[in-house]
Amino acid sequence: MTSPPVIRVAGVSKAFRAAGGGPPARVLKDVNLSVPKGCLYGLIGPGASGKSILLKMLTGLMKPDVGSIEIEGADVTRMGELDLQKLRLKFGMLFQNNALFDHLTVGANIAFPLQRLFSLPKDEVERRVAERLACVALSGFEGRLPGGLSGGQKKRVGVARATITNAPIVLYDEPAAGLDPVTSQKIFELLRKEQRAIDATCIMVSSDLDRLLTVTDRVGMMYRGELIFDGSTHEAQTSTEPRVRQFVHGLTEGPL
Amino acid sequence: MATTSPGQASHPADVDPVPEAHAPPGPVAALGGSAIDLFLGGKELLSVFIRTLYYSVRGKREKGAFTTQMYEIGNKSVFFLSITMGFIGMILVYQSGLQAKRVVPDYTMLGATYLELLVRDFAASIGALMLATRVGAGIAAEIGSMVVTEQVDALRMCAADPIDFLIVPRFKASVIMTTVLIVWAGTVAYLTGAATAYVAFDVAPQTFFNMALIDVGDVSVGLAKCLAYGAAIPVVSGYCGLSTFGGSEGVGWATTRAVVNTSLTIIILNFFISTAGFLIFPG
Repeated sequence: MTSPPVIRVAGVSKAFRAAGGGPPARVLKDVNLSVPKGCLYGLIGPGASGKSILLKMLTGLMKPDVGSIEIEGADVTRMGELDLQKLRLKFGMLFQNNALFDHLTVGANIAFPLQRLFSLPKDEVERRVAERLACVALSGFEGRLPGGLSGGQKKRVGVARATITNAPIVLYDEPAAGLDPVTSQKIFELLRKEQRAIDATCIMVSSDLDRLLTVTDRVGMMYRGELIFDGSTHEAQTSTEPRVRQFVHGLTEGPL
Repeated sequence: MATTSPGQASHPADVDPVPEAHAPPGPVAALGGSAIDLFLGGKELLSVFIRTLYYSVRGKREKGAFTTQMYEIGNKSVFFLSITMGFIGMILVYQSGLQAKRVVPDYTMLGATYLELLVRDFAASIGALMLATRVGAGIAAEIGSMVVTEQVDALRMCAADPIDFLIVPRFKASVIMTTVLIVWAGTVAYLTGAATAYVAFDVAPQTFFNMALIDVGDVSVGLAKCLAYGAAIPVVSGYCGLSTFGGSEGVGWATTRAVVNTSLTIIILNFFISTAGFLIFPG
């Protein structure tokens, strides 16, 4: 017997009005997706295929034009802002651009979700921030400002912030972008270890397929707003679908 | 067709458009579309204002945010406002003196009428227009940058309403500091006006410093304008910042819209408050 999906996306489409009154740009087309509890789902696809938009829709940061998105059975598309705030307690999220608050120190950035979402004592917050920083190999960086960090360091601070609440659902948008191969592998392994430790449900968008596919349970591929593949990691690696095959194996010849 | 609203996620610039068959809109449709956009924009601006008032009372206090904004909006504008209002004071008195010389060659009421004009209208309106360019543009650029770098989305993921976290501290600080700055800037304009009157028209300071025409109505209207402009600048420019889309070009547009819309709002508010002032204090 399989457990009910934690994340269920049904028939989701989205279009944006183009600047200057041109034709609308359809960014998602009839996307259907289910992610069971405890699954690490890799979402892959070429740039501008709608992966980041889909992640934002799962948290209610964007609303689809049509379709439904259920998180643990609750329809996100019908929620008001107050309900969405409660729903977001269940989420940790790493944004593509890290989205670190420029005016806050690294420590304050990582502590921010804890302080806003939970009423924890100050020393407990500090302890957890220090522990998170140690996990991403940035111990002692608490007092630094994001402006003084390299791209890779910012990414690691973003990872620390996304995981500090031990949320049951975590969304990672390019967790390894800008990292060297060794740090990248360490980050993927860390995220996998933590996901298993709390049996979290994760969706991970990454272009680093070599490493991503070593940690995922299932994989979906998006292309021009459509989910063109949804299957196990092994099925993705052995798929004969020309676009999936070309993308997964990094071939220059093919339909993409 | 979906549209984004302030505090909602931004328009994705990185998405490959998939065009549908779509005829270009005719002039009537374009006009109707613009009217609907204007209506929706006004509705969203009103929503931002109401939520700002709500969170000003019920929102979560961020340690140090209010004082930081007081410094950013107030202290950092003192020099700019002093210089501009000082020169405007000199120009106004010089031009008024030249006009007065043609009609009634008598300067005894020059200081009194100038002071009434300053207190009732010019200090607040010109000062606020100056602040709209410096403070309004700054707020829109800062919030707009946070939108395009997904910081606003990150705030919302942490249950922090961007209105509460970003606009409310600026709103409170602006209401107080705009009033303080305008009183200061008005004083500077009056003093430079007095100096100009003395140098250009030989009006003695004792004659120029004449408060005979100032009454409760003038002060009330002047203060009402300070408070209204102080509230309008962060709300309008914050709204422009939150409705930013795209990348750095979008931030540029948001900044431009903030200055234009805030200036328009100040001028429209000036009309309504002045009218109300003349009705309430007819003398």
